[in-house]
Amino acid sequence: MSRSLRAVLLVGLLCVSGMASAELFPKVGRRASQTEVAAWDIDVRPDFKGLPTGSGSVRQGEKLWESKCASCHGAFGESPAVFPPLIGGTTTKDIERGRVAALSISSETAKTTMMKLATASTLWDYIRRAMPFDAPKSLSVNEVYAATAFLLHLADVVPSDFTLSEQNIAQVQARMPNRDGMSTKHGMLEVKGKPDVLSEACMQDCKVNEKSLAVLPVSVNGLNGNLAEQNRPYGSTRGIDTSRYK
Amino acid sequence: MGTKGKPSRLQPAPENFLSDDLIDQISKQGLDASRRHFLRQSFATASASLVAGGALAAADHPGEADDEAIIQLPQHSRTLGHPVAHLPYGLPSKHEAYLQRRESPGLTRRRESSIAFTPLQGLFGIITPSGLHFERHHAGWHDIDPGSHRLMINGLVTNPKIYTLGELMRLPSVSRMHFIECGANTAMDWASPAVPSVQYTHGMLSCCEFTGVPLALLLEDCGIDKSAARFVLAEGADGASLTRSIPIEMALDDVFVAWGMNGEMLRPENGYPLRLVVPGAQGVSWVKWLRRIEVGDAPYATREESTQYTDLMPDGLSRQYSLIQECKSVITSPSGGQRLLDRGFYNITGLAWSGRGRITRVDVSVDGGRNWKTARLESPVLPKCLTRFNFDWEWQGKTALLQSRAIDETGYVQPNISELRAVRGTRSVYHNNAIQSWRVEAAGEVINVQIS
Repeated sequence: MSRSLRAVLLVGLLCVSGMASAELFPKVGRRASQTEVAAWDIDVRPDFKGLPTGSGSVRQGEKLWESKCASCHGAFGESPAVFPPLIGGTTTKDIERGRVAALSISSETAKTTMMKLATASTLWDYIRRAMPFDAPKSLSVNEVYAATAFLLHLADVVPSDFTLSEQNIAQVQARMPNRDGMSTKHGMLEVKGKPDVLSEACMQDCKVNEKSLAVLPVSVNGLNGNLAEQNRPYGSTRGIDTSRYK
Repeated sequence: MGTKGKPSRLQPAPENFLSDDLIDQISKQGLDASRRHFLRQSFATASASLVAGGALAAADHPGEADDEAIIQLPQHSRTLGHPVAHLPYGLPSKHEAYLQRRESPGLTRRRESSIAFTPLQGLFGIITPSGLHFERHHAGWHDIDPGSHRLMINGLVTNPKIYTLGELMRLPSVSRMHFIECGANTAMDWASPAVPSVQYTHGMLSCCEFTGVPLALLLEDCGIDKSAARFVLAEGADGASLTRSIPIEMALDDVFVAWGMNGEMLRPENGYPLRLVVPGAQGVSWVKWLRRIEVGDAPYATREESTQYTDLMPDGLSRQYSLIQECKSVITSPSGGQRLLDRGFYNITGLAWSGRGRITRVDVSVDGGRNWKTARLESPVLPKCLTRFNFDWEWQGKTALLQSRAIDETGYVQPNISELRAVRGTRSVYHNNAIQSWRVEAAGEVINVQIS
């Protein structure tokens, strides 16, 4: 939106109404009531702005977990059967340090949620808004606290007799295994950001590392269906018949 | 015009139907009984394919004799066709069932939180047909009643408001063409080639004309506190109520709240009746089924910007809020999984785009990056939009390595995969904008390869 268009609109509307109004578009939309805002404004920030009052214990969380979460995530949040595993790959040393050491090993990947997660608020917020997968937003505030507490216990962040509440969640944050594992020092946060990979457009006799050639493995042929049926049977090319690899 | 002197159509040699492993075994150990049996089987399969392929080929290759398609007047030239409005909402030809959105196996276990890829290999120009726009949902899609859909704006505003869809549609709107690319597009090829065709390597990419009201106007209408605002949170109305933080500079620049897509309402799979358009940003920021915008003084670290959609770097740190899609291009035809039928002239065609602005140049190499020539950019060339490029090529029937390389208005040059890996390693999953290589085999088949 150009600044000039906005200015024109603003001036135009002010002239028509003949009075200064805070609203750019009078009589369009209406003020949201506090009840309406409360119904939808459920986000919780890393500084815990938005976190409702409540509490839930590890034990309560364990019971809830068995009935509503374990079928997808496994009894200990370890299962890769339906979704990537939630728990595993973090150590007590990581909790002390605030960085998951395995992530600095080039052969390791971020296999679990807890390895990558930096903020406890994210866990609480996501369970509340999107879990359980088949019945999102069906948990009470205290149930969200309980499920969060149980997961944090599985990752050794809190002890088995712990009760999580809005009072102590900031202390829990200080024990998150990867709490210092995020960086915003990169050029991809804004359009005018500085790129990290700088290439050059060589046009002639450019250096090419022929030995690096990697070819699609024959073993994956057919996994994506018959490519002959994913292209028109006329036109400049055809799809390769991969049905024989089935 | 006669067809004399036209080179005969390529017949793929049976060798091409053998696995590299088997060829390797035969060359090292000769033919024993079991390998002989396998070879016979492969040859039979190959021959059967040739017959089928030949029948298809005849359909658009007239041959030497008088063409029956001309001499025998077809039925459609001798009978009355369907009346107008026979199909009140038109459909593609019944002959066009090949290009469809498709899933790639093994990505997710639940199809409600999965991906369907756009068939770039057969699309023309820059606009993605609405029915082929890629899909990515986090908790499935619903067909929401537009009459009961609401948009709420709250947070650092003097007047938090709710709008009905009808009220939003009264406001001054813009219509703009922009690409949308999932941050995970081409993710499967970070380490090595993993999928066979451009649909699966690059098909989390679409481009439409969107219509809606600039978010800046809505924020102004609600009395945004510009001195305190740093980010907005966009939130969906789906089961996941997906949320993403968007920097305030972008929110006040060209972001808009859209209901229109390619001249009609959004498709349900793409956020009907309301979605955010965040030009240049990865798809997950374009929140679908948009229900709420909150203005805040800090980012929100939502799930989709913490454990997901963050780029793991070699030092173990993850880049957070990395939402810009950098300059990238790909040849869509000839491309992986396709085969050329004849030697001679081909139009190499593809797409280029940049989240930082306009495409200024695309170069094409047919020798794996040794030598490059500049391709033709077709109009329109718009900021943060797909740009179609074309390049004349005569295929000699020999192995060729096709690549494209885009440059945007900031001067940024699309990198090679090795340049990306040198900085980001191979575990970052997202934002792979490397040059794509396709190898055309002597038999005409095109294979996904990497040269680093």
